[in-house]
Amino acid sequence: MQKFISQQNLGRLLDKLIADGKRVIAPRMDAGTPLYGPLADAAGIVLDQLPRRSAKETFFPVCEDIMSYGKEGQQVTLRDVSPASFPETILVGVRPCDAAAIPVLDAVFSWDYQDEFFLERRRRTTIVGLACTQADDACFCTAVGLSPAAPKGSDLFLTPVEGGGYACETFTGKGEALVNNHGELFAEPNGAPALPLAEPQTEKFDLKKVKAWLDDHFEDPAWDSIAVRCIGCGACAFLCPACHCFDIVDEGTEKAGKRRKSWDACGFWKFTHHASGHNPRDLQPKRYRNRIMHKFKYYDDKFGQTLCTGCGRCIRFCPVGIDIAAIVDEISKK
Amino acid sequence: MNDNPIDTTIYAAVTEAIQDEARRILSEGSVSAVVGYAAARRKGSAQPVVITQADDAGKLIFSAACVNNLAVYLTKAKKEIPKAGKIGIVVKGCDLKALVGLMGESQLKREELYLIGVPCAGVLASTAQPARELTGDTIAPKCRECDNHLPQGCDFVPDQRPVTLELAGKYSAEIARLEAMTPAERWAYWKEQFKKCIKCYACRQVCPFCFCEQCLCDRNKPQMVETTPRPAGNTAWHIVRAMHLAGRCAGCAECERVCPMDIPLNLLNRKMAKELKELYDYEAGFEVREKGPLAMYDEKDDQSFIK
Ligand code: SF4
Ligand code: SF4
Ligand code: SF4
Ligand code: SF4
Ligand code: SF4
Repeated sequence: MQKFISQQNLGRLLDKLIADGKRVIAPRMDAGTPLYGPLADAAGIVLDQLPRRSAKETFFPVCEDIMSYGKEGQQVTLRDVSPASFPETILVGVRPCDAAAIPVLDAVFSWDYQDEFFLERRRRTTIVGLACTQADDACFCTAVGLSPAAPKGSDLFLTPVEGGGYACETFTGKGEALVNNHGELFAEPNGAPALPLAEPQTEKFDLKKVKAWLDDHFEDPAWDSIAVRCIGCGACAFLCPACHCFDIVDEGTEKAGKRRKSWDACGFWKFTHHASGHNPRDLQPKRYRNRIMHKFKYYDDKFGQTLCTGCGRCIRFCPVGIDIAAIVDEISKK
Repeated sequence: MNDNPIDTTIYAAVTEAIQDEARRILSEGSVSAVVGYAAARRKGSAQPVVITQADDAGKLIFSAACVNNLAVYLTKAKKEIPKAGKIGIVVKGCDLKALVGLMGESQLKREELYLIGVPCAGVLASTAQPARELTGDTIAPKCRECDNHLPQGCDFVPDQRPVTLELAGKYSAEIARLEAMTPAERWAYWKEQFKKCIKCYACRQVCPFCFCEQCLCDRNKPQMVETTPRPAGNTAWHIVRAMHLAGRCAGCAECERVCPMDIPLNLLNRKMAKELKELYDYEAGFEVREKGPLAMYDEKDDQSFIK
């Protein structure tokens, strides 16, 4: 279904959803940093900056309680967190590189174990994607087969058009329901041409070739030169829309506490540190190798896709300037 | 707003001098490796590099994007860097303080280093957009307060002399603003900041003084501070870190630069430095000292806080 929505009506739509008690998550400023988060009103939305962290946290929060416990005398009580309490959510203004990562995560969280914390939030969320009109030289969605206009992962996709407003296209029943429930705010397509899309400059990678090299170069001196400067923080993984490792810890006292799930990262020394004291990934290049292998080989082996959508966040914010696009390009030329 | 460009024309000559010197010491065999900066893919960008061959000396550069404090690569925490024999390292004046501090803490020996000092007019605050021009607006806040544009005590410093602008300091003004707040207001400010922390530990990993092989904050048997990114554990983490770095922090501001959540971490460290100056007349600096004020006891120390 194709429609048109004016700038004003988009604002009205968001305010109406909020007034109806829906949770509207969108990019907005949080103590000076652009982040996705609950919108108080439509005026707070910030659409001209890529949020620092990706949209994945809508489904996979930085930290969440998954259980709580209490102990009184000999009596122990355990309380589950019920996914039924998750609010219905409209996630708005999602960049194509963020939206495309969501179906990628679906595969991970529903493969052997069904992660209801992720999946229930997913079920209750409608995703409104937004085409990009600006890119910088860290953006490389086009190099991994996506584009600034790719609707992958979006239920409803908005493209800014000349003269203001957005062309809307629905891709799923959820997207159609959102439009139908607020039909008065949408108009028939007005034929105005789309504003010029962003043009990421990176050349398309030959991902088959990259994978073929990774398939038989687990051991290679190149890993040392690629990763010797990596300092082993979690910045790249935490900002990434597709990274999904987590840790589970119990926090609290003997009397009361919570079991919590929070983000983890393969760059950390502790990530593979065994209880025996042995660490199979003892040096940073081995940890960085895992990052590349997971994104361009292991995930592909298992799910037939790449675990990178080219958002460029890890490039912009790596403390030591490690550039995944440059590394993939280097590998593809081997 | 201060979009006056800062003169970085000397950086081309500095680059050349660094390359020549690295080539000379590597081919002579007087060092086994040189830690420096190399150009990267994005326009104007730079990244740390370790070279071991004289033929690779041409890769070295110095530009406004050379923000990293490379001292982190010489600590125990970086086991990947070859440590055999003497190591050459490219240092800005601000980074030199960290090397001196590490010598005082017996992490490095002066005779194992070959210091290539950089005449520096300033570097960028952020490398998220490396192609930006160096101006009064884009310069790193630490450069506004720099007193060491021409490093002293190095083995080699190129001949160039940097031209610097007079810029108003940012940290002292920010600290004064925070000090003027009531404790409740100050607490509210930091709570808001710490709330944003995602425990990515980039601040720890980039810090030359966070070289502990096992950080207290990584302990899980028993857990010493809550490891999850939530207000309680975040606050504990930042207080532990501020205390651990008091009197040690070299002020390189790397922790603050790399924080993806824009938390002004250097304010904490600079505030601690100010307290140490007032209480113990102590400053981390360019003199190798064996003990910092929080690692030794002196009967003349202020006792008034012990109740
Ligand atoms: S990589 Fe850049 S241009 Fe491409 S979708 Fe993401 S933000 Fe938009
Ligand atoms: S690649 Fe960069 S961001 Fe990622 S772990 Fe290494 S240093 Fe940190
Ligand atoms: S690996 Fe980097 S560029 Fe790719 S999706 Fe993750 S953060 Fe974005
Ligand atoms: S605490 Fe921050 S400013 Fe101080 S030495 Fe470490 S990285 Fe540099
Ligand atoms: S770099 Fe910032 S977000 Fe990461 S652990 Fe340090 S303070 Fe927290």
